Amino acid sequence: MTEGTISATFDVYRHDPAKGDRPRYQRYTLKLSPHTPVLTALLQIRAEVDPSLALRYSCRSAICGSCAMQINSKSRLACETHIGPEIEQHGRIVVEPMRNQPVLRDLVVDQASFWKNYHRIEPFLKLDPAHPMPEGRPTSMTPEEVERFKETPRCIACASCYSACPAVEADPGFPGPMALAKLYRYVVDPRDRAHQDRLVRVQADGLWMCLRCHLCTDSCPKDVRPSERIRDLKEMAIAVQGATEHGSRHAVGFKDNLRDRGVLNESRLVRQTYGTLGMAGQLVQGLHVLRKKPEVMRKPHPIEGVDQIEKIYEALDRPSEDGA
Amino acid sequence: MRIAYYPGCVAQESGKELDLATRWVARALGIELVEFPSFSCCGSGFVDEANEVLNVAINARNLAIAEKAGLDLLTICSTCQGMLTLANLRYPDPAVRPRVEAALRPLGIEYRGSVKVKHLLRVLIEDVGLDALRAKVRRPLAGLKVGAFYGCHLLRPTDEMGWEDGEEPHAFEDLLEVLGASPVYYRGRVMCCGFPIQFVKSDVASGIAGRQILDAKSHGAEAMATPCPLCHISLDAYQNRAEKKVGAPLGMPIFHLPQVVGLALGATPEELGLARHLVPTEPVLAKVPPAAVH
Ligand code: SF4
Ligand code: SF4
Ligand code: FES
Repeated sequence: MTEGTISATFDVYRHDPAKGDRPRYQRYTLKLSPHTPVLTALLQIRAEVDPSLALRYSCRSAICGSCAMQINSKSRLACETHIGPEIEQHGRIVVEPMRNQPVLRDLVVDQASFWKNYHRIEPFLKLDPAHPMPEGRPTSMTPEEVERFKETPRCIACASCYSACPAVEADPGFPGPMALAKLYRYVVDPRDRAHQDRLVRVQADGLWMCLRCHLCTDSCPKDVRPSERIRDLKEMAIAVQGATEHGSRHAVGFKDNLRDRGVLNESRLVRQTYGTLGMAGQLVQGLHVLRKKPEVMRKPHPIEGVDQIEKIYEALDRPSEDGA
Repeated sequence: MRIAYYPGCVAQESGKELDLATRWVARALGIELVEFPSFSCCGSGFVDEANEVLNVAINARNLAIAEKAGLDLLTICSTCQGMLTLANLRYPDPAVRPRVEAALRPLGIEYRGSVKVKHLLRVLIEDVGLDALRAKVRRPLAGLKVGAFYGCHLLRPTDEMGWEDGEEPHAFEDLLEVLGASPVYYRGRVMCCGFPIQFVKSDVASGIAGRQILDAKSHGAEAMATPCPLCHISLDAYQNRAEKKVGAPLGMPIFHLPQVVGLALGATPEELGLARHLVPTEPVLAKVPPAAVH
């Protein structure tokens, strides 16, 4: 082995749905420097071993967002993931297409749903004619205003987060982390005149399907932190419109639930979320659980110093219309 | 060691078996649990969604209680761990701290930000130590194939929770090995249990729970174990719904973290509250030989 190189084994997902064959993993072994990016290795495989390997890439500098794929089960940019640490940790490098999008061929997926969800949030500025920008500088913002975007402008639309998101996997109606992070960017843009409208729409259109699992934030190569911006959207949506969905009713109900005892009153929470009538739908499950866990029907004792909780709420909680 | 014991709401009510097992394990390992009846709920992630600053404030109050006693804080729930850690992280923010302080000061509460929040899993590994634990095993789990199920908030965001790799942790598996079990690695172990939307779209939530159980099962797991009582609700108490949703019988016993530890340390099923589970644990217990008599 040449000095400074390692023997790297790649197991690469191969599949051509058009041919109707079954997905398989093809093994390639190369001698490479540990600093080699996975993308460079794949391109070498394509150039020297197997020209039929399909993959997507462009900039090779972690900017264009085209080369996202699963590398040892994590959604990552192939051009910035080095093979050394992967081999060290896993002994080999399993390369697979991104999840939550159908495979077109090998490592190339059909991104239609990702982009459709992006367009669904109307990713363009709706300017406010009542607040014209100073002459000659139609889109100027103060540095403080730009700060409001937090990390969201860094997004390169690579869809790593979309691939990692269990809510996308479970419900195709969920817009996905990147679309929601982008939506946040428009909601906090002081020039946008539609931000209330955007919040009202998203509250009913998937916002509360986010599981706050933070897999998007962990998988994002640009530290956009979609899960944290989704949290912000939730709080802002409740602020402009109140709690209109089961999800927001549950969050607001939970918050109000703690106020008088300092601890959760489980049965009351079900009523707060579903309303007294809607509780009937939960009855069967409630009885099922009750067999072994009678406490679900019991009112818990208030904590010591529960009046402090009330005082903290008085100081910091805006009144909610939907407290039940 | 002495540590402030933060049981969280569920372990004091419908998840009582978790509290029971924690106390047993703490006794066995010489961990003194200092109790504070003034601890409030952590907000479970829902209060954070509704009002971030309020969430920091109620948890700063909890942390201040431990700080006053000069203790670090032990959690037994991934979500409590996440929320209390989050409060520690958000508290110094200049947009947050003055508001929280203004709410707490009139109550005579001051939080200086010094309390470390540690989940039981981390205490077992870092403070008790795996070697010390190994020496206490009376009833090795006989190669029982156990799938760890972490619970999101214990791990992620990785840079904030500051412990294990949030997509590829190994702490729980290391612990299971020490207890004599064979850990099962499967993708679902770091995924969501569906709990946050059990009340939003229960069919989707059940599908998510079912998917993870099925994943563990297809990798050979005979049981699963979780450090989070909310995951336990989704995976155990609602497993019947998950079965309907995935259209397959699952019959997967779900243990709380201190229950698997307790079992290996020689506790009886009664001492661990195993009869309180919705999915029976007997089939698994039958595979583990009884504790050696000392
Ligand atoms: S948020 Fe991050 S992971 Fe998602 S598309 Fe943008 S850059 Fe990629
Ligand atoms: S936090 Fe929400 S958006 Fe992000 S991966 Fe989890 S479910 Fe998806
Ligand atoms: S090739 Fe452009 S981001 Fe990797």
